[in-house]
Amino acid sequence: MQKYISQQNLTTLLDILIAQGVRVVAPRMNAGTPLYEPLESAGDMVTDQLPRRSAKEAFFPVCEDIMTYEKEGQKVTVTDIDPARFPETLLFGVRPCDASAIPVLDAVFSWDYKDEFFLERRRKTTIVGLACTTADDACFCTAVGLSPSDTKGSDLFLTPLEGGGYACETFSDKGEALINAHSSLFSVPSGAAALPLAEPQTEKFDLKKVKAWLDEHFEDPLWDGAAVRCVGCGACAFVCPACHCFDIVDEGTEKAGTRRKNWDACGFWKFTHHASGHNPRDGQPKRYRNRIMHKFKYYDDKFGQTLCTGCGRCIRVCPVGIDIAGIVEEISKKQE
Amino acid sequence: MKHTAPTHDFEPKIIAFVCTWCTYAGADLAGTSRMQYPSNVRVLKFPCTGRIDPVFILKAFQQGADGVLVSGCHPGDCHYIAGNFHARRRFAVFRKLLEFIGVDLKRLQFSWVSAAEGGKWVEVVTDLTVKVRAMGPMTEFKELAMEEQWSGAINTPELQEAYNAI
Amino acid sequence: MPLTSQPIDTSIYSAITDAIKTEAERILTEGQVTAVVGYAAARRKGSAQPIIITEATDAAKLIFTAACVNNLAVYLTKAKKEVPKSGKIGIVVKGCDLKALTGLMGESQLKREDLYLIGVPCAGVLGSTVQPATGLTTDTIAPKCTECDAHLPTGCDFVPLQTPVTPELEQKYATEIARLEALTPAERWAYWKEQFSKCIKCYACRQVCPFCFCEQCLCDRNKPQMVDTTPRPAGNTAWHIVRAMHLAGRCAGCAECERVCPMDIPLNLLNRKMAKELKELYDHEAGFEVLDKGPLNSYTDKDDQSFIK
Repeated sequence: MQKYISQQNLTTLLDILIAQGVRVVAPRMNAGTPLYEPLESAGDMVTDQLPRRSAKEAFFPVCEDIMTYEKEGQKVTVTDIDPARFPETLLFGVRPCDASAIPVLDAVFSWDYKDEFFLERRRKTTIVGLACTTADDACFCTAVGLSPSDTKGSDLFLTPLEGGGYACETFSDKGEALINAHSSLFSVPSGAAALPLAEPQTEKFDLKKVKAWLDEHFEDPLWDGAAVRCVGCGACAFVCPACHCFDIVDEGTEKAGTRRKNWDACGFWKFTHHASGHNPRDGQPKRYRNRIMHKFKYYDDKFGQTLCTGCGRCIRVCPVGIDIAGIVEEISKKQE
Repeated sequence: MKHTAPTHDFEPKIIAFVCTWCTYAGADLAGTSRMQYPSNVRVLKFPCTGRIDPVFILKAFQQGADGVLVSGCHPGDCHYIAGNFHARRRFAVFRKLLEFIGVDLKRLQFSWVSAAEGGKWVEVVTDLTVKVRAMGPMTEFKELAMEEQWSGAINTPELQEAYNAI
Repeated sequence: MPLTSQPIDTSIYSAITDAIKTEAERILTEGQVTAVVGYAAARRKGSAQPIIITEATDAAKLIFTAACVNNLAVYLTKAKKEVPKSGKIGIVVKGCDLKALTGLMGESQLKREDLYLIGVPCAGVLGSTVQPATGLTTDTIAPKCTECDAHLPTGCDFVPLQTPVTPELEQKYATEIARLEALTPAERWAYWKEQFSKCIKCYACRQVCPFCFCEQCLCDRNKPQMVDTTPRPAGNTAWHIVRAMHLAGRCAGCAECERVCPMDIPLNLLNRKMAKELKELYDHEAGFEVLDKGPLNSYTDKDDQSFIK
């Protein structure tokens, strides 16, 4: 289905949804930092900056409770968190690099174990993608086969038009349902031209070749060169739209507490630290190798997909300037 | 011993971190001398004020304390010679940090109480209890403990109950 | 104080780059050092990254620009096991980075004789949220540079003969600290609550800090668990309080914690506030001389105790 919506009607639509109790998550400023967060009013939305964190947290929260426990004498009561209680959500203004990561994550969360925490949030969320009109030289979506107008992962996709308003195209029943429920706000396509999109100026990687090299080079001097300067923080993984490792911790007292799931990162030394004291990944280069291997080899081996959408966030936030696009480019040139 | 203090609308929880050599003995003296002081105070004994890490104070507030008292030997009387001198600097700085974060310093009291000062112990504890009782509950850290990142937030009655129990 | 953005002269940086290259090549060739830690250009336009070179031929890769933001001292701590520490190591340092090295020497983490210090006369570096190719101006300069008192590093083995021209700037931290101090406790709590709510516990602030060299961080321990590890508002607040406390009297203001924070939390504000208090209470300023004992592991019998009953 193709439609047109004016900027004003879009604001109205979001305000109606907020008033109906739908959690509308969209880019907004939080203490000076652009983040995907629930809006109190559509006017708070800021779409001209790439949010610092990706949209994955709408399905894979920074931290979520998975159960609570209480102990009274000998009696222990464990209460599971009921996924039915997750809020209905509209995830709005999602960049193609963020939206396209979500179907990639579906693979791992619905593989041998069906993760209801992820999947139920997924069912309850409608994703509205927004074509990308701002990029910088850390962006490389085109290098991994995506584009600033890629509709992958979006239920409804908006393209900003010359003269205002958006072209709307639906890609799922959820997207159509959203338009049908508010059909008076949408009109027939206007035929106006799209605003110029932000095409990153990067060469397309040959991901098959990159994988072929990775298949053969678990041990290679490249890893030392790339990551000896890595300081071992989790910034790259935490801002990544596709990284999905988590840790489970119990917090509370012996009387009562909560089991929580929170983001984890392969850059931390503790990530692979064994109880025995042994650490099979005993240096940052080995940890960084895992990051690249997981994104461009292991995930491909297992699910036939690449775990990188070229958003460039890890490049921007890396404290020591480690540049995943530069490293993959270097690898892709190795077999020429 | 029957406690006959008047009841109040709000009874604060006060955590006292004390050194074993002076203040704990001082509190003991208050007890053996049958002096009365508010039962609001929960005493935790340490070898020395030098062992009391600022993170303990933080933890106490996080776990529901409305006021915190840290007390040890007078300067010069430390069983380990200089533990309280180090503590004095550490706490002087820590209270400035807490103040900058936005904690009301009226809830945090430091004192020197020797083994002979049962009366001073009673006075310090009573003063702090009265002051904190008037201020009402310390809500900042408790509210913080119940907050979630937006993405993990779900409001269920069971959760609310579980949190209240913590 | 100019209201509009003024460019800051960084023309000396190209001469400094040349001098660093020549000196690094010389000390590596002569075998005075086993490695040099410096900055090299990176892929993105104008960007720089830390580099550790061991061959004299690689000295040509070294640069110094306004994008050379890192404090390289972190690579010399025992926490960075990947960097070989055998023999004497050359390191490129700005004045602010040198203060960290001074502190590390005082804490017996480094020995002066194991270091060859290549000091950089510095007019300032870029703030964390600007693109690396941006020109240095009074707007794009890192906040720490507005309060810099070490444009010319002292006590180095080699310093290029250049003098940075540094305009008088509004002191960002002093101004912000004064603003926050004037608020009520509840208002300050609200301010920090909002800031800490953004924290995702990526620990970038800890990992880049030259003084966070503990083998095992207290905040990574779970027996006993003194600080909640989860990135919820409660655990975040506790973490940042503990971090500021552990750096009090040690942090000399390289502001790496604040620069690397992907959530833009003004962490150096806490460190500067602590530094201010230590100056007022004990007349101590970190980073100026190698001290056997910092202000929080020494004492006098005259220390202020007006807050103690």
